[in-house]
Amino acid sequence: MFKLRNLAMLTAPVAIALTAWSCERQSNAVAPAIGTPLAHFFQFQCTPFKMTGGGRIDFPPGTAEKNPPASHEYETFGAHVMDQNGDCVADQGALEWVDHRPEFRVNGSPLNLHATAITFAEQATDTDCKDGAAHWGGKLRVQNTGQEDLDFEVWDCDNGEPGVGHDGFAISVPAIDYAVMCPDPALPPAEPTCTLTGGNRQFHPTH
Amino acid sequence: MKIDTMRRAIGLVAVVLPMTWMAGTLAAQMRAANAQAFGVSVNTPTVNQTSPYAVLPTGGALAEDQGQTVTVANFVTAQDAFAIVTGDADPTYGSNAVSSATLGAVSLLNGLITTDGVVAIATSTLGDGLVASDAEGSSLSNLIVNGTAVSDPAPNTRIDLPGVGYVVLNEQSATGDGVTTSGITVNMIHVVLQQPILGVLGQVTGYQTVGNIIVGSATSSVN
Repeated sequence: MFKLRNLAMLTAPVAIALTAWSCERQSNAVAPAIGTPLAHFFQFQCTPFKMTGGGRIDFPPGTAEKNPPASHEYETFGAHVMDQNGDCVADQGALEWVDHRPEFRVNGSPLNLHATAITFAEQATDTDCKDGAAHWGGKLRVQNTGQEDLDFEVWDCDNGEPGVGHDGFAISVPAIDYAVMCPDPALPPAEPTCTLTGGNRQFHPTH
Repeated sequence: MKIDTMRRAIGLVAVVLPMTWMAGTLAAQMRAANAQAFGVSVNTPTVNQTSPYAVLPTGGALAEDQGQTVTVANFVTAQDAFAIVTGDADPTYGSNAVSSATLGAVSLLNGLITTDGVVAIATSTLGDGLVASDAEGSSLSNLIVNGTAVSDPAPNTRIDLPGVGYVVLNEQSATGDGVTTSGITVNMIHVVLQQPILGVLGQVTGYQTVGNIIVGSATSSVN
């Protein structure tokens, strides 16, 4: 019993230290250099977090106002990412993006992007997104053509509830010269994200 | 006597207080997010088809389905149908569920109803002190019903279709108590197929539903 008590007293501090170290914020990680740096979303940290939700953006112009339905100038999407360990490596993620604009139809269908791998996820610390912001990305496939392994990055903003008129989302796929980004710094919530006209983004820590 | 009373009171608090704490903890642990969406659904005595269809998996994340062309007998023809659902339930930070169904050109009942763009979005959120659902972002483009253009129909707009039944546009139905649970179902076009009920003298005494056609449906709920 005496030896067991000593063992417990010795191992407890070690266990506590290990737990604290696993939760310790890492120094700024650097995401793959894919796109052009911007006024917001250039300071990041690696912390455990999750971002979920989806919805609609009416780009251009990407403001909170819906375009006339007959214009078909809107995009719809679903997006989910999680960094469970706080190391800026995404442990889970998915993206489905549909651009309904007539000028972006490919092979007779709306442009449809499908993520095949989410490789990085970092929390942005320099935005005014009230509940949290993230920069993440990976590889995707253009479903219309079968083009695979294209780098993409996403700027993601949870600016409170409800999502419409407050949250933001932006995407860039340089290989096909495609982007839905709203770089106007006067446009809420945080450039380059475009304002949601439907749906919601929700950010929260994972531990 | 006083000491005995105090002892009983302390004992009662010691029993009851953990139970209230456990109930709150259990409620938080039971958070859920549900979402589903489909492009077209036809349900009649001879046809039962839903496509494309996506439902949020247990544990959350994302699901999607799509159909370039969806044809159901002579009921519906639809192009570019997508169903996307996302969501997550966290015991500490709340729940979030978003579902969307989008379609391009749609024709129902041999052109009785046509549209060239359908968006159904159902959003439900629990968190930040908010428990709510909405259909923001839902829309219909260039909608024509029985030869008449209909622009931006209000929720639950009903139009009779003589000889067929009736249609409900932008059909929205809410669920939940708005305190700890919230949900919404959005059906952008819902045709109710009816047949007359005839009396003994052959007069029409009423109508009975014999089928349903739904285009652009999104459902989400959280607790």
